[in-house]
Amino acid sequence: MSVTNTRRSRHIGITLSKRTGLVFILPALILFTVFVLYPLLTALSYSFFNWTGIVRGDFSVLDNYVTLFTKLPYRDQVPNAFFHNVLLFVGAMVFQNTVGLGLAVLLHRLKRFKRFFQTIFTLPYLVSPLVVGYLWSLMLSPLFGPVNFILKAVGLEEFAQPWLGNPATAIWVVVFVTAWQWVGFPVLLYGAALGGIPQEIEEAASLDGASSWQRFREVTFPLLTPAIGTVSVLTFIGAMEAFAIPYALGGSQGSPAGATDVLSLLFYRTAFESGASNAIGTSSAIATLLFVFIFGVAVFITWFMRKAERKLY
Amino acid sequence: MRRKLLTLAAFAAGSAMLLSGCAPSAPAGTGADSSDSADDVTLKVWSWRTEDIEKYNSIFDVYEKENPGVTVEFEAFQNTEYNQILTTGLAGSDGPDIPMVRAYGQLQPNIVAGQLEPIDGKVDGLDEIAPSVIAGAVGKEDGKTYAVPLATQTLQMFYNKDIFKENDLEVPTTWKEFVAVNETLLANDVTPIALGAKDDWILPIFADIIGSGRYGGSEFEKKVLDGSATFEDPDYVASLQLVEDMKKYMTPDVVGVSYTDSQIQFTSGQAAQFPGGSFEIATFSTQAPDMNIGSYQVPLPPKAVAEAPVTPAYADGNFAINSKSPNKEAAFKLLNWFATPEFGQLVADDLNQFSAVPGVEYSDKVMAEAWDNYEKSKAPYLLLVNFRYGEPLGTAVLGQQVQKMLLGEQDAAGAASTLQTGISQWFTPTK
Amino acid sequence: MASITPVLPTEADRILEEPRLDARPPKRRRGFSLKDATASTLLWVYALISIAPLVLMVSNSFRTTQEMASNPIGFPIAPTFSSYQKAWVTASFETYFVNSIVVTVASVVLSTVVSLLAAYAFARTKSKLFAAIEALFLSGLMLPVYLAILPLFFLLDSLGMISNLWSLILVYGALGIPFSTFVLASFFRQLPIELDEAARLDGAGSFTTFFRVHLPLVRPAIATVVVFRFVPVWNDFFYPLILIRDQNAYTLPVGITRFFGEYQTDWATLFAGLTLATIPLVVLFLLATKQIVSGLTAGMSK
Repeated sequence: MSVTNTRRSRHIGITLSKRTGLVFILPALILFTVFVLYPLLTALSYSFFNWTGIVRGDFSVLDNYVTLFTKLPYRDQVPNAFFHNVLLFVGAMVFQNTVGLGLAVLLHRLKRFKRFFQTIFTLPYLVSPLVVGYLWSLMLSPLFGPVNFILKAVGLEEFAQPWLGNPATAIWVVVFVTAWQWVGFPVLLYGAALGGIPQEIEEAASLDGASSWQRFREVTFPLLTPAIGTVSVLTFIGAMEAFAIPYALGGSQGSPAGATDVLSLLFYRTAFESGASNAIGTSSAIATLLFVFIFGVAVFITWFMRKAERKLY
Repeated sequence: MRRKLLTLAAFAAGSAMLLSGCAPSAPAGTGADSSDSADDVTLKVWSWRTEDIEKYNSIFDVYEKENPGVTVEFEAFQNTEYNQILTTGLAGSDGPDIPMVRAYGQLQPNIVAGQLEPIDGKVDGLDEIAPSVIAGAVGKEDGKTYAVPLATQTLQMFYNKDIFKENDLEVPTTWKEFVAVNETLLANDVTPIALGAKDDWILPIFADIIGSGRYGGSEFEKKVLDGSATFEDPDYVASLQLVEDMKKYMTPDVVGVSYTDSQIQFTSGQAAQFPGGSFEIATFSTQAPDMNIGSYQVPLPPKAVAEAPVTPAYADGNFAINSKSPNKEAAFKLLNWFATPEFGQLVADDLNQFSAVPGVEYSDKVMAEAWDNYEKSKAPYLLLVNFRYGEPLGTAVLGQQVQKMLLGEQDAAGAASTLQTGISQWFTPTK
Repeated sequence: MASITPVLPTEADRILEEPRLDARPPKRRRGFSLKDATASTLLWVYALISIAPLVLMVSNSFRTTQEMASNPIGFPIAPTFSSYQKAWVTASFETYFVNSIVVTVASVVLSTVVSLLAAYAFARTKSKLFAAIEALFLSGLMLPVYLAILPLFFLLDSLGMISNLWSLILVYGALGIPFSTFVLASFFRQLPIELDEAARLDGAGSFTTFFRVHLPLVRPAIATVVVFRFVPVWNDFFYPLILIRDQNAYTLPVGITRFFGEYQTDWATLFAGLTLATIPLVVLFLLATKQIVSGLTAGMSK
C-alpha cells in the first residue's frame, strides 16, 4: 500500500480481532435487536394474520391489505391521508428550497448578526412538534387567537377565518406550521454548503462576466446538490412520519372532516382507537406498507442524489 | 485471551441484566394474595370523565367508609384518548380492576377479546334496570351481560331562560314557533344555536335532536333493523335536510368552532340554545352556576313521522371487570354497589347524571325537566345504539358527512347514501 | 416522528472523508447598497415570523386569560406567575418534568455508551459481518420504526415494563443507536491507525487503547451525539402516549396533551405549560449552539 494512497486506506485499519470486535458490538446489537429489529419483523408478520382483539387467528395471506383498499372507511381514508402526506412533503420542500435557501443565501452574504439570525431561525426546530402544534392551534383560534386579531387590526378582515375549521385551509395550516418549524435546518445546512464553496470559483465566474443569477444557477446551485439531496431525504421521511403536529392541530380524527388526516394518524386510530376486532391486522398492514414505501423511496432518493453528484464532479 | 473472554462474559451479563433487571417491577395492583385477604384491597377504577374526578372521589369515600380495608383509586383520562388507553390497558398488564367501558357496539371488541368478566347472576339489582339500558352492556354474540350501566343520556335542546325572557320568547311547541324563536334571536344579534361542529361526534347527536321526530324514532329503528327501510328513506333524508336548514342559526363558519368553544359560547351568554346530551348539565352547572337553564324537545317539523316530539337517549358509561384483575371478589362487591339505589342517588345528586338504577329522585330542576320530557316520549339515539357494531361506525360516518353538509360539500341525500353504504359493509338486517 | 433527524450517509460520509477548504468569510462589499438593505429587511421579517409565536407564548403565559380574551396580543403589564404555579403544581408539570429528565438523560447515556463501543468496532475491524451489522444499524435511520409499536408494546408488557420509565429508557436507548453509531464511527475512522499501533507498542490492550487513546479524541463527536439525541427524546410524544398509562410516569409531551384536555379554556395556564416544556431546550441550545450547528450539518462547516 503506497503512502500516497487515499485517506480511506489509511483510515480503515484492522486493530481489533473479530472476537474483541464482537464484544464491543454486543451491547448495541442486543439492544437494537430486542427493541427495534424484533418488533419491526414481528409487526410485518402481524399483518398477514386475522386478529380478534389480541388473539391471533388464521393466516390470512393478504386479506388485511385487500381490506385497506376495498373496505370502508379505509378505502377512502388511505388515499386521503396519503395525499396529505404528499402535500406535506411537497409543501415543505417548496418552502425549504425557496424560503430556506433564500434565507441561507442572504445570511451567507451577511457580515454581522449571522449567528443571531441562525439562532432565531433554528429555534422553532428545537421546540417539540407537539408544543408547536398546540401553540399554533391557540394562535389560530377563531375566538381569541392573535392571528385573526392582527388581520382585523390591519384591515384584512376578510382574510380572518377559522383556519383550522375549514378543510380548504386546515391542511395548509399543517403544511405551513411544519415548514415553519423545519426551515432552520435547510438554512443551516445550505449555509454550511455555501460556506464550503471555494471563493475562487465564484470569483472566476464573476470575472467571466456572469450575472449574479447566472453565477448562482450555474456555479452555486450545482454545488448545493448534495445538501439538497440530504434535505430531500429528511423532508421526505419527516413528512411521511408526521404525527405530532397534525395530532395537535386536528386531533386523532384529522378534523375537520378528515382534512388534516395523515397516515400515521390513520395507523394510530386503527390500532388503538377504532375498537375494531381486527385492529391489529389492519393497522399492521398500514404499518407494513409505510415501512416499504418510506424505506424504498428514501433509499431511492439517496441513490439518485449520489448519481447526480457523481455526474457533477 | 482469558481477559477478553471475561469481558465478553461481563458484557453479556451486563446487557442481560439491563433487559431483565426491571422485569420484576410489575405495576402495582398485581401483587398476589390480595384476593384472599379481603381486608386490604386497592381497586383501580378508570373512566373518561376527567371533569368528575373530585365528585367520584367523594362518592368512593362513601363506599370506602362502608367497606373498611377497600381503597378505590379513581383515575380519569381524556375522553378523546380513552379508547386507546383502554385498548392498551386491557391488553397489557397495567390495566384497571374496574374500567368504565363504552356501551353497545364499542363494548364488543373487549368482550370478544375476553378482556371482561361476565357478570350475569353475580350482581343483584341488575334485573331492576330497564332492558333498553342493559342492552348497552350485553355481548352481541353470547348474549351475556358484562357491565353495570351507569347512566342514561337524554338528548335535547338546552336554552338560556334569561336570554329567552329578554327577547320575549317562549319555549316553542310547534315547528313554526321554533323557527320564529331562532329568527327573533338572529334579528336581535344573539347566536341562536351554539354547536361545536369541529368535533364531529356532536353532529349525529344534533341530527337526532332535530330530526328524530321527523324520521320517526323507534318506529324507524325497527324498520331499519328488519330491512324494510334504509337510511336512504325519504323521511331520514328529510331529517338530515333539517340539519342543513339550521345552519343559518349557528355561528358563521360553525365547522371551525370546537365543542368546548361552543360550551363557552352558551355558558357565557353569547348563544341562546345548546343542543346536547344530559351529560352537559354537570358541565354547565360548574362553568356557570348562576345561569338559568331549561330544556325542551324540539317540536315536530311538518310531515313528521312521529306523533309527538321525542327525546332520543342511550345508555352511557358501563362499569365492567377486567378479566385480568386479581381482585375480582372485591370488584364484584363494588359492582354490586353500583347497582344499588344508594349509588344511583349519588350519581343523580353528585354527578348530575340520570342513573341507570330505577327509583332515583332528581331534585335538580334542569334534570327533572329533561327527565320528565324523556319519560313522556322516548326514542333511541339510533346510530349510537344500533350502528356501532362494525367498521365504519355509523356515528363516525354521519359525523363527517354532516360536517361536509355544513361546509356545503354534501347534500342530505348524499350524506344519507354514504351512511347507508358505510354501515352496509357490516350490517345485515334481521327479519 | 423526531423533530431532529440526523443527516444521512450520502452527505456526511462524503464530507467527513474528503478534506474541505475552510469556509472563508464572504467577500466584503463596499458601502451600503439597496441590495443589502432589502436583504437585511427580509431577514428581519422572517426572524419575526420565526420568533413571534414563541415570544407570544412566553409573554401570554404571564397574562391572565381575561386579558387575552379582550386583547390577544399585549405586553404583560402586570406580569403574573400564578399560571406557572398552577401548571407546575396543580397540573403536575413537576412530575412530568422530572420524568422527562430521567428518561432523556438515562436513554441518551445508554445509547451513547453502547454506540461508542460499537462504532469503535466498526471503525477498527474489517469483515463482512461487521459491515453487515453497520448497514443494519444505518437502515434504522430510514425506517419508520415507530410503526412497530404494537409488538413492542406486547414485548414490554411481557417484561413487566409497561407504564414504567424503564420501557422508555430502553426503547429510546435502542432508537439512538443508528444515528449515534453513524456519527461516532465516522469520527473514529478519521483517527489515524498509527495511534493504535503506537498504543500497542506500549503494551496497551484493545480496551485500554479505546478508553485511554480514542475516547478522549472523539469528545466533540460525543457532545454532538448527546445533544442530538437529547432533543428528539425530550420532544417525543408517540412512545409515551402508548407505553405509559400511569399518570405518575407521564413525560412532558403526553402530560401536555392531558393538560390540554383538562385546561382547554384556561389559556394562561396552557401558555405557561408550553413554555415550561420548551425552556430546557432553549437552555440546551444556548449552552451548545456550536454542537447543534455542527451536528445539524454533520461536519460540513468544519
